[in-house]
Amino acid sequence: MNVAQPLELLVNGQLHTLAVLPTTSLLHVLRNDLRLNGPKYGCGLGECGACTVLIGDRAARACCTPVSQVGVLPVTTLEGLEQDGVLDEVQRAFVQEQAAQCGYCLNGMIMTIRAALNQGCVKSFEDAKQALRFNLCRCGTHVEILRAACLACGVMLDDAS
Amino acid sequence: MTGFLEIVRAGQAPKGLSARSGQKLENLPDELFIRLDETGTATGYCGHVDLGTGIRTALTQIIAEELDLPFDQVGMVLGDTEKAPNQGATIASETIQVSAVPLRRAAAQARLVLLTLAASRAGIRAETLRTEDGQVLGPEGSNVRFTYGELLVGHELRERLDEAQPVKDPASYKLVGTRVPRVDIPDKATGRAVYVHDVGVPGMLHARVVRPPYGGWDHGPFFGCSLQSVDRDAVARMPGFVDLVVVGDFIAVVAEREEQAEAIAEALPVKWAPLPPVPDLSDLAEALRQNPDTPRVVSEDGDLGAAFTGAAIDLQRSYLWPYQMHGSIGPSCSVADWREGVLTVWSGTQNPHMLRADLALLTNLPEASIEVIRHEAAGCYGRNCADDVSGDAALLALRIGRPVRVQLTRAQEHVWEPKGAAQLMDVRGAADADGKLRGYEFNTRYPSNVSPLLSLVLTGIVPAAPVAVPMGDRTSVPPYDYDARKITVHDMAPIARASWFRGVSAMPNSFAHDCFIDELAVAAGEDPIAYRLKHLPDERAKDLLSAVAERAAWQPRPGPAQPNVQARILRGRGAAYAQYVHGTFPGVPAAWSAWITDVEVDRATGRVSVTRVVAGQDSGMMVNPAGVQHQIEGNVIQSVSRALKEEVPFDATGVVAKEWGGYPILTFPELPKIDVLMVPRQDQPPMGAGESASVPSAAAIANALYDATGVRFYELPFTPERVKARLDEALSPLSLPEMSAPMSALPRPGTQGPASVGWGQRIGRLVKVSGLAGLAAGGAALGALAAGMLPLRAPIAPVSKPDAALFSQAAIARGRQVAAAGDCAACHTAPGGTPMAGGLKLETAFGTIVTTNITPDLKTGIGAWSYPAFARAMREGISRDGKHLYPAFPYTSFAKIDEDDMQALYAYLMSLKPVENVVPSSQLKFPFNQRWLLAGWNTLFASSAPFTPDPTKSASWNRGAYLVEGIGHCSACHTPRNALGAEKLKTAYLDGGEAEGWDAPALSSLSRSPLPWTEQDIYDYLRTGFSSRHGPAAGPMAPVVEGMQHLPDSDVRAIAEYISSFDSRNEEASATRLDEAAAQRLAATAGTSLGARIFSGSCAACHEGDASFMFGNRPSLALNTNLFATKPDNLIRIILDGSTAALPSGGAMPAFGNVLNDKQIAALVAYLRRTFAPDEPAWHDLPNYIAKIRQTAH
Ligand code: FES
Ligand code: FES
Repeated sequence: MNVAQPLELLVNGQLHTLAVLPTTSLLHVLRNDLRLNGPKYGCGLGECGACTVLIGDRAARACCTPVSQVGVLPVTTLEGLEQDGVLDEVQRAFVQEQAAQCGYCLNGMIMTIRAALNQGCVKSFEDAKQALRFNLCRCGTHVEILRAACLACGVMLDDAS
Repeated sequence: MTGFLEIVRAGQAPKGLSARSGQKLENLPDELFIRLDETGTATGYCGHVDLGTGIRTALTQIIAEELDLPFDQVGMVLGDTEKAPNQGATIASETIQVSAVPLRRAAAQARLVLLTLAASRAGIRAETLRTEDGQVLGPEGSNVRFTYGELLVGHELRERLDEAQPVKDPASYKLVGTRVPRVDIPDKATGRAVYVHDVGVPGMLHARVVRPPYGGWDHGPFFGCSLQSVDRDAVARMPGFVDLVVVGDFIAVVAEREEQAEAIAEALPVKWAPLPPVPDLSDLAEALRQNPDTPRVVSEDGDLGAAFTGAAIDLQRSYLWPYQMHGSIGPSCSVADWREGVLTVWSGTQNPHMLRADLALLTNLPEASIEVIRHEAAGCYGRNCADDVSGDAALLALRIGRPVRVQLTRAQEHVWEPKGAAQLMDVRGAADADGKLRGYEFNTRYPSNVSPLLSLVLTGIVPAAPVAVPMGDRTSVPPYDYDARKITVHDMAPIARASWFRGVSAMPNSFAHDCFIDELAVAAGEDPIAYRLKHLPDERAKDLLSAVAERAAWQPRPGPAQPNVQARILRGRGAAYAQYVHGTFPGVPAAWSAWITDVEVDRATGRVSVTRVVAGQDSGMMVNPAGVQHQIEGNVIQSVSRALKEEVPFDATGVVAKEWGGYPILTFPELPKIDVLMVPRQDQPPMGAGESASVPSAAAIANALYDATGVRFYELPFTPERVKARLDEALSPLSLPEMSAPMSALPRPGTQGPASVGWGQRIGRLVKVSGLAGLAAGGAALGALAAGMLPLRAPIAPVSKPDAALFSQAAIARGRQVAAAGDCAACHTAPGGTPMAGGLKLETAFGTIVTTNITPDLKTGIGAWSYPAFARAMREGISRDGKHLYPAFPYTSFAKIDEDDMQALYAYLMSLKPVENVVPSSQLKFPFNQRWLLAGWNTLFASSAPFTPDPTKSASWNRGAYLVEGIGHCSACHTPRNALGAEKLKTAYLDGGEAEGWDAPALSSLSRSPLPWTEQDIYDYLRTGFSSRHGPAAGPMAPVVEGMQHLPDSDVRAIAEYISSFDSRNEEASATRLDEAAAQRLAATAGTSLGARIFSGSCAACHEGDASFMFGNRPSLALNTNLFATKPDNLIRIILDGSTAALPSGGAMPAFGNVLNDKQIAALVAYLRRTFAPDEPAWHDLPNYIAKIRQTAH
């Protein structure tokens, strides 16, 4: 169990073979071994969402996902949303709505909305808030983030926000 | 050399906070502001940094505007100590207001130089030329046209900044004042931005610091000298270990990989001196009054004595502000490298130059040998740990000689960030009956310094002395026109480690000023807005407040609030106004700000929601109105969060909250509607806009609370407990129909009798009387039996290890399945050890049993065991050498394994790679260390009868029975044992037992799971590691499920069929109903208690509601047996140690043992029980119980 084992990981369409402990967090592997810096370390406890990536097409908190839990599913990071220089619709919405101050939480917001969109979970402004209820932002960028989420998901903003 | 033009200024000594360097400030190099080159692009240099506020964009706009350059041809370098001028710390929202001034002038001057160059090239007067879009153009009709780039070819120009250089008339601005998109956002949205956390240097090592136990203090006799010892040898052989660095109380471990550094830091044994008593902050107001202070009268006007004499209204009030956290979303991080005499530090600091001075002191290097390269970091809103971690990295890089990256943990950032200081404001004010303001006496206590770099004090380079820094005076003078006033700031050293935080001291001071004026208005029977307008001397303040009142459609409300005390939900509206004054007294005023806010108060729970905020601001000229608007919104959200929720909890060790559950901040669903009003003043000088909108927040909300309830609140935060207590005390009791009837009870089987003490139980349980009685009785019984029994059995001669080639592949494969079904590896593998090589310690009520090596090693394993010796051990519990095995080894079950399976198992084990591993011997207590006594035990309890099928049952049921009763040995854990450790197979089969300190729940009708276990449930659970109707396989069940992967589907189904036949309960409730009822209870109680808050912040992301877009199992707690169990053991263990799903894709739960203390976990566990199993009795004495489990946890 506690010895480094060769492990195959499909990330952003590329297959990597790594020798790491199966208990290593996916976040460390992505950031340190694959130098993908989109996902951020925020709490390491699954509380803030800063580290979110997609495993399959769902949002996973990479900080507390041991790399062994990925199994055969593909991993997509913020970097992998962009295809041939064309931004994903969620990324575009965030740029358009200027939805960042420091932007440290941005990865989590974008990836969470991407996953919610994949599952068709955001049908209203309220749904957008609910989808993001476990993502923390300390700068108070919530208004712009919700605008971006609504734009990306094609739902109407609550008028007074 | 390509041509260029630079505008520079002679190096200046840093001002204010940055003047902390002990070094001589002579021969300072020139400071560069603007550089243009032949490519026609310009670079601006600013000593301030972008803290995520968008100043990079705004400064770019300013330069592009003055230079008439396209926006995208201007770049900015911010806060690099080698390149950018020293402009002090990026604080007080002064970048645009102060630091941009020389930059703007430099740009204007550069433009002038370009005009002069063009004039001489074209041979015409400069006055006839104009600039546009990066070009100098001649008069209409002429063909004079030079790009900036071509004008600079061949020139190397360095001009001194003319501090009187005229700049553009704002009326002619084209770019400044427009909503330019921020330059940094595309990179941030794609992962290209390089935050300091993302800096990678070739050969970089990873470090973790280990901080002292006095968490969150920064002075005291213990500080820097509490370390007693560190055990380097205990970790030096751990994978990746590079070094351990210890200086004073500073400890860090350095490793090749980040997870290795984490593991080493966690494993490092450190002994600290016992912590002496630290200041008691449970009565914060008293602690602030007792803290020694130096009174400083900052403003005194008129005759205060006379003002108070005979005043019709004379009020005295005290206002209390709690300690709060900056709460950066990213814990601080830094990289440092020491190479060829230069120390390079990549940092997220607010103040690169000030940091460089600190680093010089720390490393004893001249400042010239240190370069601080500033990268963006998570927003800091003041002084967080960004500088501290840079000191840590610098220290390590120098020691190790390789680049080192230090990442603080979430807990370290929470505990050690210098907190926003608590503050106490005492006010006495007087007014005439007609409302005229007569006198105002204001005393404010602000305990803070600027927080010396932690490594400086931990290493003892700087003494950890209580030093006061006079920063409590921000906005200490009220904006209202009192005839006489006396404003005293009590400067005092910090109590807990504290430093500036957004709206530093102004937010608390203004909370007092504007709550107080509101109270005077009511006393005078006047409308609070009209009253303010009457007493505000500042015209722009009045304009702003009137505009905000109009936008909010404010209805005048003269006189006391008139709440409907019978209603459960009370609504109110409040106003406040403030101007943030920053810098040393009298300071520099920033933007004007006013709030009108609506609140809702739930009288039953005390919960307050801020439903709407109209925030108005007069920022003077706005370089980028979009940027200003975002700052206002950000301030509104953050300050609502601070006012409603935030308060750092302390106990006798220091800061308690080590993660977000313990320090909740505002989340998306709690967001108020925000309406921003920006007064257009583009003709006025720009005023700092980064903090102003926070300042009136708390007073506006408190005033709205008064409007809603008629009760004044003087203390932050407005948490449900505090609000409810005040309302219950002040208002007539609320008579309500029961707010949410507890969902009706599920009928439960009768509670079990006292649990018996079994082999699987932990030592802690020995204190139980029944256990002690059992021991005594057991000893006697065994003694009696022993007299007439043969204690030992004959050894079976050793053999040489059978050649694996003797066994067929089919037999080995079958044996692998048998081993999987029995999960031999679960017990016969030590943590981190080779599978089957033994060494796992099993704590039992009778002592510690160490599992044996069952690889075929001749000396230390079972290599010398013949098949008969093996089979005898399996079926009768007799070792090859004739000794009795302890019945922790479930030979009573294994007796049921048939001959074919037994041989196959032998074949499989013999085919394994022999591993030489001597395991320590078991440590049992007398009389249980007398192995021969077990002969008597066996006579009493063991049956070596083979399995006999039940002809009345299906073949598959019988197959299940064979597997479960035999090799699967499920009953070894899931059946209670008697006082002598024997399973009560006849009377209580599968009625629940214990395993490795876990509760092994009943699988019979006594199961406490809210839904009965159906065959499909058990199949799902065993096959996938997760049953959506029950939960995940965790603890000792995870390896069982893993092992079962090797069993054919038919066997797993057979097991499910057999086991489910013991649970004959009817389905009384549906999963959906249980989940919905729990969701209602969650909603009704959210935020109202410590447990509820920890649940929302720490657990809910994975355990609340339906979020099908999230990866992993998302176990429902409403369906989980552990919440309904008689004892909280399993729940507590999972919280302490976390759990990883048995199979991939299930996800994992992190361990909370290091970040939640016993009190927090107790509150959480009690809340979980109340909320998810409301009909079950509360668990008692949880804190002690948790402490005990902690001692035995792995
Ligand atoms: S860093 Fe993973 S959830 Fe916070
Ligand atoms: S933008 Fe800074 S934390 Fe969200």
